Amino acid sequence: MRSDHSPTLNVLSETAYAEYGSALEMLAACKAANKPTHAYGYFEHAKDEYNHTGAFLSMLSTRSQIVPCNTARQLRFNSSSVITKGYVDSEGYLIENLNIKDFIAFVYTNELLAKSSFEKILKLVGPSSIDGETISGIMRDELRHHGFAEEHFLHYYPALQPWQLRFYRIRETIKNKSRKLIRQNVEFLEKIFKPLYSLMSYLVARLVLAVNLDVFKRDGKNLLDIPTKSIL
Amino acid sequence: MFIGITGYNHESSVALVDRNGRLIDYYREESLSRIKGDKSFPKRALSRIIKANNITFDDIERIAFYERPLSSFLYPIKVAAKYLPESLGLLEHQFRNFKKSSVSCFLDLASKFSGLEKKLIYSDHHLSHTLTSLAYSDKHTELCSVVVDGFGDRSTTSISHVIDPLNIKELWSTDYPLSIGLFYSCITDFLGFAINEGEYKVMGLAAFGQPNNKYKKILSKIFYWDSQKKRLFADMDYFSYHISVTDSYSKKLKNLLGEPRNPFRSLFPDDQDFQNYADIAKAAQDITVEILCKIFEHAHSLTSCRRFLFSGGVAMNSASIETLAELNFVDQLIIPPSPGDAGAAIGSAYYAYLKSNISTKILVKPSLFPSKYNIKEEDLKVEKIISKNFTIISEGLEESLEKAAELISQGEVVGTIIKNNETGPRALGNRSLICNGVDHDAVKKLNTVIKKRSPFRPTAPAMKLTTAKKHYKLTSAVMDSYKSMSATCNCLPENESHKFPVTHIDGTARLQIVESCSFLDLLLDKLKPFGIEIVANSSLNVSGDPTCYDLIDGLMVCARTPLKYLITDLGLLEKKITNES
Repeated sequence: MRSDHSPTLNVLSETAYAEYGSALEMLAACKAANKPTHAYGYFEHAKDEYNHTGAFLSMLSTRSQIVPCNTARQLRFNSSSVITKGYVDSEGYLIENLNIKDFIAFVYTNELLAKSSFEKILKLVGPSSIDGETISGIMRDELRHHGFAEEHFLHYYPALQPWQLRFYRIRETIKNKSRKLIRQNVEFLEKIFKPLYSLMSYLVARLVLAVNLDVFKRDGKNLLDIPTKSIL
Repeated sequence: MFIGITGYNHESSVALVDRNGRLIDYYREESLSRIKGDKSFPKRALSRIIKANNITFDDIERIAFYERPLSSFLYPIKVAAKYLPESLGLLEHQFRNFKKSSVSCFLDLASKFSGLEKKLIYSDHHLSHTLTSLAYSDKHTELCSVVVDGFGDRSTTSISHVIDPLNIKELWSTDYPLSIGLFYSCITDFLGFAINEGEYKVMGLAAFGQPNNKYKKILSKIFYWDSQKKRLFADMDYFSYHISVTDSYSKKLKNLLGEPRNPFRSLFPDDQDFQNYADIAKAAQDITVEILCKIFEHAHSLTSCRRFLFSGGVAMNSASIETLAELNFVDQLIIPPSPGDAGAAIGSAYYAYLKSNISTKILVKPSLFPSKYNIKEEDLKVEKIISKNFTIISEGLEESLEKAAELISQGEVVGTIIKNNETGPRALGNRSLICNGVDHDAVKKLNTVIKKRSPFRPTAPAMKLTTAKKHYKLTSAVMDSYKSMSATCNCLPENESHKFPVTHIDGTARLQIVESCSFLDLLLDKLKPFGIEIVANSSLNVSGDPTCYDLIDGLMVCARTPLKYLITDLGLLEKKITNES
């Protein structure tokens, strides 16, 4: 059961994962870069994102010490959840799947969008608190990253017009909103289909219960003699 | 060429063995993805192994997955089905995540490395573990293999008789959900640490606990070895891992042990609850060791062997090894450097090799540093990162070693990114944080300032064999395991080592005896004139991240922590002092 603190804690936890995902994306971009200047830029960006992760985890840690153990356990940071939570695509990092132009456009627009998300978090923690100051610092970092991406974009793609950058921004905004809409729809459908999933799981489990797996026991067998193509 | 793959359940990894039975490359996916405990299909590791070794799909004769995927999927479901309706949530989760289970290995291989799926074969989970440890043994016949983990593709514990590498008979096993690994994980969770990550913290905490405390008596009643029936017993009413996605222990266990620890609350030796939690950890550790001893006794009675292989996740419990090695029927105990699932890729690659039509099959003992790494891949890329943030204070290995030794003698901590990577999970010098092992301030700085570890966790010492003999009670049966930090040992009675900061509260140390001509061996030579014979050695990473793989990872650790010095294949780097740092 969640306590009254949960909405803020959840936001801090999810933001820590989002920042961690960004750090990993930037580190991957650094390793994939083919120019020292690009590698340096991505390296510094990754370092900032790692520091942001640490800042949000620190805020989360301070607040979670007073919540019930069950809530705290669910909020425990687990690196590999960055994939299951969708902050890093299970198919790979953006730099592995996008062309470089789209990647930079993604960074350019998402840093700006991130800044507006932080404004909401700032309201949650209180702008004049110590945490508020930390978040304001993070927002300045995000703006700086946005500026670097814009500079990079205009330097390497000088033929691009400002309207094209606006187009990328609108495109990413629409994508983000679509993702949110899809997620809400999935959550809605989940509620509808949940009983069906449960029923199907129940029936399949009853079937599995009837399967005799003892025939696959290995006692006394030479393990090297088991057929190599057998998946059981 | 033969490839072994692990993944989906625990850390994924890939190993490559050639036609001469030699392990020629090995990568953990987490090293490349930088996500600790990454268990996704190891696409980066597989791509890298193919690219780094310049091999084509045609060069790959067989590719072996480390377990039987359908067994691994069905057994937990069959067990959970017995507990319906309480287990419905878990069952639904399992079915809906079917695509993330190891059953998908064939499909993932087909979609990402089209053509290789035709070469896919499957090994048994515990056989993969056995073959991993067998590869690290000097002798390959008449051995007894004990595998103990959380869950394999059928069983959780097994005893096999290795007559020769092609004749490995399983003689005894324990079925899921009875599991020593999952019992230990459940206590790990209860104590507020993350499962599959915090088990070694429990091991460190246990040293602070009182022996034979009240929790030992309580836990011994619900989890024990039945000497009559020669089997493990667990009262499953106290555990939930077999019926729940989120909970590893039940309310009944909470009623028995009290309030579980909030993971965000500090755990310092002076804290009010510290002793209580340390006692729980001690009880779990002692029960684990006692049961392991019983299993080894049973293994000996079944096989009459005096040489043992020990693998599976529980073999990472280095604090249990000394007791096992001192059992009067154990002449030799081999623990591979990576006894968990990640290391099983090595065993499955050997399985593919053993199932090939090569006439004479030899298992060549693998190196402790098998992951290929070449600085040339990065030296241009890191040019600006280094020039902006670091100063190269010495070039060339010899000069860098001398300078590093000087810094260590002055109380500094030095990071290392040198040549190939270790198999893991323990850094053995090439991806390490090193400082003077008898300097309390330096060890404290390494442990708490740079790594931000809990103060109850020990830091391991590394030294030459001659030094180790002067301070620690070494057990001949596990001499090889000391090279990979796989076993702890006691300080000699009334020895100055009791006061070393690398010695744990209970007078033990998880020491590393350095391999001849390894990087640490060369560094210790340079430290000798300064009177330093022991260094503290911890993995180079920031808490929560995997151990560094390449130079960029090492530079990132420097950028994110107060670590100032990094010894690399390019030379010794010193971090520039900026306003930020």
